[in-house]
Amino acid sequence: MKNPFAAQGESSLGRQASRLIKVFRDVLYGATVYEMVRDLRKQRAQREHLFILVVFGDLIGVPILPPYYTLRLLPYALEAFPGWKRTLLRERDMTDLCDMEA
Amino acid sequence: MCGVLLTFEDRFIGKEASVSSLYFLAFAVIAIILGYGWYARSISRSVILPDPKRATPATMYMDGVDFTPANRHVLFGYQFKSIAALGPIIGPIVAVQWGWLPAVLWVIFGTLFLGWVQDYSSIMLSVREDGQTFGALSFRLISPRARTILVMFIYFYLLLLMAAFGKIVGFDLMTNPAVPLGVLLVIAIGLLAGQMTYKWKLDILLTTLITVVLAFAGIWAGTLPAVKSFMESLGGGAQSPLFFGNVTWAQFMWSLVVLVICYLGAVLPIWRWAQPINYVAFWIVFLGIAAGTLGLLIWHPSIPASFPAFTNWSGNLTSAAAAAGVDKSFTSLGPLWPILFVTIACGAISGWHSLVSSSGTARQLENESDGLFVGAGAMFLEMFLAILSILTAVVGIGAVQGFGKYADLIGSGKAGGVFALGLAEMMHHVGIPVSFGVSFGAVFLTLMALTIMYLVVRFMRVASAEFLGDSIPFFRNASFGSIVALILSAFLIYTGFWARIWILFGGANQLMASMALLLASVWLMARGKNYLWAFIPAIFMFITTVAALLWTAFAVFRQVATTPNLAVNIMVGNIAAGIIAILLVLAALILVWDGMKALRKLKTGALAEAKA
Repeated sequence: MKNPFAAQGESSLGRQASRLIKVFRDVLYGATVYEMVRDLRKQRAQREHLFILVVFGDLIGVPILPPYYTLRLLPYALEAFPGWKRTLLRERDMTDLCDMEA
Repeated sequence: MCGVLLTFEDRFIGKEASVSSLYFLAFAVIAIILGYGWYARSISRSVILPDPKRATPATMYMDGVDFTPANRHVLFGYQFKSIAALGPIIGPIVAVQWGWLPAVLWVIFGTLFLGWVQDYSSIMLSVREDGQTFGALSFRLISPRARTILVMFIYFYLLLLMAAFGKIVGFDLMTNPAVPLGVLLVIAIGLLAGQMTYKWKLDILLTTLITVVLAFAGIWAGTLPAVKSFMESLGGGAQSPLFFGNVTWAQFMWSLVVLVICYLGAVLPIWRWAQPINYVAFWIVFLGIAAGTLGLLIWHPSIPASFPAFTNWSGNLTSAAAAAGVDKSFTSLGPLWPILFVTIACGAISGWHSLVSSSGTARQLENESDGLFVGAGAMFLEMFLAILSILTAVVGIGAVQGFGKYADLIGSGKAGGVFALGLAEMMHHVGIPVSFGVSFGAVFLTLMALTIMYLVVRFMRVASAEFLGDSIPFFRNASFGSIVALILSAFLIYTGFWARIWILFGGANQLMASMALLLASVWLMARGKNYLWAFIPAIFMFITTVAALLWTAFAVFRQVATTPNLAVNIMVGNIAAGIIAILLVLAALILVWDGMKALRKLKTGALAEAKA
């Protein structure tokens, strides 16, 4: 018959070990790849903001470009709209640049 | 009590007794347990009162770009990587000139009472104020002109950083003929890593494996005799001739190479240059620290009795070095107070951390209760790195080659060389040959400096474009702004006296730390909270750093006035350094004057509106 306490102890030790490995992996990720991921996010956001600019006329009801195309693009742009609004309207400061490396 | 002191004297300072280097690490661990586990936690629980249910800027203003919530462990890694550069390594090694005991005590007590306070309060201040950074906060909490002065202050501080790091890399590390090829190859391999990741879209693990192995091979290739002799011939032979003033041809050439690398890092897209090189460099640094720590644990030598725990109050090695058989003249660093407290900046407290914490980390904090782990935790880990750096000098070199070797290297202006050799001796105990270890340690330090330097030039060019772009349109051009920043840096690199530049850099850094602590105090007072835990460190750091900058200005002007036949470049560099020191003090006095006025207004309740 298996000792239930021993089994529990092993699984608890195993869980702790796997948790420690996950913490270590997360810390390493934060010190290495995370910076790249943030930079890619920034680049994607810049592209999306350009895209929103293209369809901006239709968002406010002024057809700047032929609406046949832009109205079809509008549903794709809407998802990124709240983030774009926040980024665009946020007050910026020179000391924001200290985070530029990411 | 006397018995305790005598035991301490016997164990740590006595000439005959010896103490294991592991006590240093144990002392650091105890400091972490007391500092982080008790003091920091109790301040956080009783004053800051982090509320896990309150929305942070990362969750409230999530835009997927700047404001993005991140896991606390990921953010810890990000924060540590952002704050740890050359500061916690070089500063403590230089400060060992007063003896290892003052250096260890300042690193530990500085972190315990000041370092984590600044980092954590900067994060929480920004988190509670909608993710605003220090410029906007000083504008709102102190005065409108505080923001402009702060940015100018940061520009000069970064200029001093460029000069201090540029001198270490160009004059000290790269002039070792076993180093340049390794550095250039690691940069090339970093570019390959960028190509593999972004263009060829290869798996990141495969990319890491290939590029890190290639980087190690590159560093090894730099140690080959044929390569070393070629690099030596490029620098003008074993005794490189003087090019101008007291600058040799090798120093001039390699500093220029470093500046060109910084230029490329500042103008090329960040994914193409800075980021992939940083990525490969991180693994070299990480593996170096891991191997050095493991080697030290296996080796755990005693602190050599010949290595003085305390030399003298002026940090002058002349008599201690003479006793060790080194016939060199040393320049006095200055009085222990205030100069030691700015010589070791990042290992104890650093203003740079407050900028990184408020602009980057605070905007990614998912939960308020993660702030202490990320801010204070990363600072305590940096303290550990500073202790390890002291050990590279005290036991890495001291236990193998004796105190004389340390004095000899420091006397030749090779603080970077001390770390490289000390780390090599530690890594030797995990089977890495010393000859490779020395080159590896030097490449490790060079990369650590470079990863910060080209980002600093990026900041300087954007700052100059913002401030001068309207009146001088040339500054809007990325190349022009970068070249101006590099010319200013080169001016200080080629003319400044290294020890003074390092102290000025540390002084500016620490002065910014006192500004950050003052801002945190104003904020705490505005909210009716206990502010003394931040205000007392702010006052201590302010008085200390202003005294250090004024003393340095006095020392450099005195050198110009009293030294006959001083080389022209040193004379010009000394005058420039003195003027920068005085400008920094004036800027700090204006900021503190405005800060005190804001505090007074808050005390009299005139800013009740702000409280609401």
